Amino acid sequence: MEPAVKTVESEVDLREILDPQRVALNLPCMSKKRLLELVADLLASADDEEETDISQILNERERLGSTGIGHGIALPHGRVTGLGAPRAAFATFATPIDFDSSDGIPVSLVFAILVPEDANTQHLRLLAHLARMFSEPTLREELATCREPQEAYRILTEWRGPDST
Amino acid sequence: MKIIILGAGQVGGSVADHLVGEGNDVTLVDSNDAVLRTLQDRLDLRTVHGDASQPSVLAQAGAEDADMLLAVTASDETNIVACQVAYTLFHTPTKIARIRSSDYLHHKELFGPKAIPIDVLISPEQIVTNQIMHLIEHPDALQVLDFADGRIQLVGIRALTGGPLVGHALRELKDHMPTVDTRVAAIYRQDRAITPVADTVIEADDEVFFVAARRHIRTVMSELRKLDKPGRRIMLAGGGNIGLHLARDLEQRGYNVKLIERDAQRAGKVAEILGKAVVLHGDAADEELLRSENIHEVDVFCSLTNEDEANILSAMLAKRLGAHRVVAIVNRSAYVDLIHSNVLDVAFSPKLATVGSLLAHIRRGDVVAVHSLRRGAAEALEAVAHGDEKTSRVVGRCVRDVKLPPGAVIGAIVRDGDVVLPHQGTVIESDDHLILFVADKRQIPAVERLFQVAVTFI
Repeated sequence: MEPAVKTVESEVDLREILDPQRVALNLPCMSKKRLLELVADLLASADDEEETDISQILNERERLGSTGIGHGIALPHGRVTGLGAPRAAFATFATPIDFDSSDGIPVSLVFAILVPEDANTQHLRLLAHLARMFSEPTLREELATCREPQEAYRILTEWRGPDST
Repeated sequence: MKIIILGAGQVGGSVADHLVGEGNDVTLVDSNDAVLRTLQDRLDLRTVHGDASQPSVLAQAGAEDADMLLAVTASDETNIVACQVAYTLFHTPTKIARIRSSDYLHHKELFGPKAIPIDVLISPEQIVTNQIMHLIEHPDALQVLDFADGRIQLVGIRALTGGPLVGHALRELKDHMPTVDTRVAAIYRQDRAITPVADTVIEADDEVFFVAARRHIRTVMSELRKLDKPGRRIMLAGGGNIGLHLARDLEQRGYNVKLIERDAQRAGKVAEILGKAVVLHGDAADEELLRSENIHEVDVFCSLTNEDEANILSAMLAKRLGAHRVVAIVNRSAYVDLIHSNVLDVAFSPKLATVGSLLAHIRRGDVVAVHSLRRGAAEALEAVAHGDEKTSRVVGRCVRDVKLPPGAVIGAIVRDGDVVLPHQGTVIESDDHLILFVADKRQIPAVERLFQVAVTFI
């Protein structure tokens, strides 16, 4: 198991899926419903097919089980028909929002991902990478106190495993 | 969940009551201030006074943050506009509305994201009518509930001396009826739930809940008591929406129907709509009227007015005058507790039936159907398993290894449209529909958690 995890780390480069434009800090919001909507707005693109309703996709996935991973982090995600490559967004929220996470801690850091309809192992690696990254208290602290989106973007994309910080 | 309910009438008010009781954050909107004040005094909810379809009123009710809109005002048009406003301006994830007019309902293409954006249409009258119809078809049952579009039914029945299985252990069921498959999901003995095992011996007066394919339920019932011949002579008290719908359905199925309505004008109108049914203008609690209409020959008497007290009294009277089986609509659960089975055969709660149909959209996970049972203390639900061994707590496991909370039982599985009555060794697959009986509603959150997929499920 252990060596497999190591290879995975080196394979994920968040710059390939996260655009600096899709990072927003301290969004005002009072509910999980609104949070998913704001994240969906960040994820939306002018190229998307007209009927793609990202917030509905995120909502439907949330209904099957919360994507809150604990420590105030959530990784909402969903499959989108016709999407060429995975797309991500990152947002922090001024007020922590109840997210039904396993540890019960309200969510204030959100990393959202859309993947193509047929994607499988690739985004499992991505989720594993994110889970490992956000399990680091120092990184969470840095992101939470970040003042500029570019700074958050840099922290997220430059992280290369526990040894890099 | 944050829920906005539009319309504080009978459905809106009782649904609000139930949803608040389950810890939901409820806001009730109505144009009648007095009705709102009464409900607010009694329930822990927010109220907004105003026209339910106006954007400003919905905004004030918290539509920005609401997970669900439930539009049950008296006006179809208000409900339609409110759902459109919620969809376009507030992106409300779940929009449920009551539409009464069959003129709208006949055109299914009217509803959907590109037309009228209502996710779920509900018809409380239809739900109540269907369930009472089941009770008329199966007069021995206390409750007959549909799952998997009616392929599977959950039946509640009181066991009586004379039923071949009474006094015997459940394991003998198979010997009694080798060709019929069934699962006993729960037994209530003197109002206490017993989790059934193979050695459990059925006693007279036990309330037994079993699951079986629709075509088998009569055979299973016949094991638990000597069955009455389903009768064709039905008397209904009350010509309101439910009485009228039920009378029409009964006529179409060839039943002999008499309907008593107190209001002369309404009685006239009902008589015009109905064909063969006999409509009588009078008081259903009038002994003379009941006698002259041969109440002692009536197979099933149903009292269906809006007043619990009137329904209970007329049903009790009908029973004493010889009606074979009596069913009364009773909304107040406190009354249901007072009524013993020897005075009324079935007290039916439209409120619980309606709430049950809404709960399917409130429960976490992919829940297709919910029925509230035993005055809301128990619940039966149909949930879909998703994921694989890694992302699900049920998929890829044997029934015996699924960590169900106490009192919860997997009664049946629907796989690719086929009914499977599971054994301890049956392995659950992704996309299986599981019919679960949960004897204690407080265990519902544990059942919901069981069906939640892991974060890595995409």
